[in-house]
Amino acid sequence: MSNMQIELPKDAFSRVNTSSKESELITRPGITFWADARRRLMKNKVAMLGLAIIIIITMLAIFAPVFSEYTYTKQDLANTNAPPSREHPFGTDSHGRDLWVRVWVGARVSLAVGIFGSIIPGLIGIVIGGISGYFGGKVDMIIMRFIDIVMCVPNMIYIILITIYIGTGPAALVVAFALTGWMGTARSVRGMILQLKEQEFVLASRTLGASPANLIFQHLIPNTLGIVVVSMTMGVPSAIFQEAFLSFIGLGIQPPVPSWGQLANLGISVFRIYPSQLLIPAALISITMLSFNLFGDGLRDALDPKLRM
Amino acid sequence: MRERILEIKDLFFSFDTYAGEVHAVRGVSLYVNKGETLAIVGESGCGKSVTIQNVMKLIPTPPGRLKGGKIYYCGEDITNYTQKQMQKLRGKEMSMIFQDPMTSLNPTMRIGRQIAEGILKHEKISRAEAKDRTIQMLGKVGISNPEKSYKRYPHQFSGGMRQRVMIAMALVCNPKILFADEPTTALDVTTQAQILELINQLKEELGTSVVIITHDLGVVARTAERIAVMYAGKVVETGIARDIFYNPKHPYTSGLLESMPSGGSSKTLTSIPGIPPDLFAPPKGCSFAPRCKYCMKICQEIMPDLIEVENQHSVSCWLMHPQAPKHELPGRKSRVNAQNIREGV
Amino acid sequence: MAKYIFKRLIISIITIWLLATVSFFLLRALPGNPFQTEKLLTVEMQERMMAYYGLDRPLLEQYFTYMKNLLNGNMGYSLKYTNRTVNSIIASTFPISADLGLRSLAVALPIGLALGVASARKRGKAIDYICVVVAVIGVSIPSFIMGSFLQYAFAIKLKILPVSQWETTAHTVLPTVALALSLMATLTRVMRASMLEVVMQDYIKTARAKGLSEGRIVWSHQIRNALIPVLTMLGPMVTSVLMGTFVIERIFAIPGLGQHFVNSITGLDYTMTMGLTIFYGTFMVFANFLVDIAYGIVDPRIRITK
Repeated sequence: MSNMQIELPKDAFSRVNTSSKESELITRPGITFWADARRRLMKNKVAMLGLAIIIIITMLAIFAPVFSEYTYTKQDLANTNAPPSREHPFGTDSHGRDLWVRVWVGARVSLAVGIFGSIIPGLIGIVIGGISGYFGGKVDMIIMRFIDIVMCVPNMIYIILITIYIGTGPAALVVAFALTGWMGTARSVRGMILQLKEQEFVLASRTLGASPANLIFQHLIPNTLGIVVVSMTMGVPSAIFQEAFLSFIGLGIQPPVPSWGQLANLGISVFRIYPSQLLIPAALISITMLSFNLFGDGLRDALDPKLRM
Repeated sequence: MRERILEIKDLFFSFDTYAGEVHAVRGVSLYVNKGETLAIVGESGCGKSVTIQNVMKLIPTPPGRLKGGKIYYCGEDITNYTQKQMQKLRGKEMSMIFQDPMTSLNPTMRIGRQIAEGILKHEKISRAEAKDRTIQMLGKVGISNPEKSYKRYPHQFSGGMRQRVMIAMALVCNPKILFADEPTTALDVTTQAQILELINQLKEELGTSVVIITHDLGVVARTAERIAVMYAGKVVETGIARDIFYNPKHPYTSGLLESMPSGGSSKTLTSIPGIPPDLFAPPKGCSFAPRCKYCMKICQEIMPDLIEVENQHSVSCWLMHPQAPKHELPGRKSRVNAQNIREGV
Repeated sequence: MAKYIFKRLIISIITIWLLATVSFFLLRALPGNPFQTEKLLTVEMQERMMAYYGLDRPLLEQYFTYMKNLLNGNMGYSLKYTNRTVNSIIASTFPISADLGLRSLAVALPIGLALGVASARKRGKAIDYICVVVAVIGVSIPSFIMGSFLQYAFAIKLKILPVSQWETTAHTVLPTVALALSLMATLTRVMRASMLEVVMQDYIKTARAKGLSEGRIVWSHQIRNALIPVLTMLGPMVTSVLMGTFVIERIFAIPGLGQHFVNSITGLDYTMTMGLTIFYGTFMVFANFLVDIAYGIVDPRIRITK
């Protein structure tokens, strides 16, 4: 029995004036790209955990040495290689220095090198990649060839060569990373810009009279920001790793300035007897790298437009 | 009555997304007779692709979810078939070609092999035999130099050629029914005509039933014997091609026909004002009501059932109610060349 | 394809030349001479050593001499191990490093790829979750830390495997695993991401519409296409394995080439540093070149142009 056969009241068939404007009401609340990304990121518990750990470690790096009576150089030869205690939460090393303070001063160094060693190359990469992508033609070709050639050789070799020349120390390392680390970002930024240039909204803007600066800042950069932010975040664990690696083989941060890698290096010589001296800095390196990786992964997922519903 | 190859009854299908349930298909009923071409027409998002992909169970569940309804293939109830059972039907009994020939073929596998593997899956013949049949089929769909083309990769062909390869792949096992999901949308006009002609020709030769999904009425005019018009997840009108073109009963169908540009006339282009409803919260009455010129109070309250008003011509509209005012809906009167519309049964 | 190979070859050659030149000038620009640290040598003897090695010649002349020798495959004598050529040191120690590296790759590649595939196929289920977690952890723990930890756990505490040296097969287990783990983790992540990207492609839908079984779809269609992006990462992976040998050799006291590299830098052994830099650089450039060729072969869109 279909409802077409039911008897209906007369006024059911009276005309209704429909305005099409009503039908164009979008029932789902609109949400900007960034707000949506932030919402998705905050929902990602694992990524938030990573962020929390990063913040905790940063806080400890800044404040822990301040509240301790020991410095990272003060030696106490009567009290060497002590196990963790209330006096020395991480124990002491072979020179009697308090490891708690050394670890957190080292944290300052490792984190600073890690963060700046990722941000600065990232910025260089945006500029060079942007220029290359935007102007295209010969400029693009030269820059890309240069990157192609230089990237054939492992980064580490260049870094080692550069540090031989400009010395070691946190600033030198950051410079070395900056000189060698921008190429990957430059390539991806250039790729994105090339893609965006082809898209119609750029053509549309141009037709409406937008200037190059306008195009760059209002359209191209916001769209590449996602990639760059993720790339910089993921660059931090990579920079921390490189610093640790260099310091571990004796080429990075030199004593007495501590860094996690260097502490690991010192720890390994007494590893069999006092394993905590290696395991503590090692654990911190790993946890920090892990946290940045988790947060970076979450960030990447949040900014991925394809996952946006 | 002719044998029905495919019958869909009251299909309800939704997608579960983070923002809620999207009611993509809201009670669709269709059928396809043996040897005929049914065209399913509608705007983007009306649910035509989802309905047909459901027949072949190609939609991942989750996030898709079959909420109700039945699907019959040659009389057999395949609604709850498992993926394994469907694999026996796909390619052999029913096959599908898709919209974008650029991305629908595996870029790292030679096309001959892509076609042959379909044969080898369903029939117990030797590789050499499969290869022969493939080469034959390639020739049939109009690929020049089929022997050489067997070894080529998709990127070595043009868009139109790739679509021909897709057709060859779909028809090589002689399925009873072919689903073509917007087969010509990504092609230029001349190639479009060629591909449609090829489909018609092969259909005659092999006796395949065809379902063409499209938003382009020109495509419909060239190929369809019967037409189903869909809007917002429901079928609003279905009938034989002549009836739909010349005597549409649903305001939406009429609107679509009116907005078809007719070559050489100076008439202004009309379009249906407004946009289709959001399927997160489908309206309670007729979904077309907000955009309908003839909207009545009842239309906003209750969804009209789909009823048969004349031979094979069914409509879902309150205008069909005996108590409703009578309107003459404009259809294609004389501007379409009568020969272009296929004669249905 | 030939054009593609040729282009890669030219780039490779230019790279090596550039590397040799830059490191040459960089090293020579350092203050001090290599013999300063030898406290047994008087100033005159130092000067005579310098003259003997041609280190007192003008810089440009030294450069051309070196380049000429290089083209002949002659990298000179080590300034530290004065009776041994750089080549001989490389020849005697690199095979061990290479052995370690190859074993790690042989372990990491099949396991990493297999886990990536499995994890993508069972997306959302328990095994996927475990793989992803383990992979993230594996990527975050540097190989030297993993190595130290493994050494502590299995060799020192449990005493089931040797602590150091490279003598029997048992000796190779811990170093290989240490080096392979982070590589495996990276491979799993990349392969999983690639597989998930591929499964969304239209041609997978086509394959399914043909009625092919899931297994066949995964094997013939998904994996082949998913491997292509992974292949492009193979170059950097070989690099990190190579770099990894430096630290692993140190931890496990393996007599490979890595220790010489580090020592030569701190000891200002110019010829050694130069030689090893060029050696490693060339090796990597060559490895990248091979990967480029492999990539060209696997992806028919590059191999066959219309």
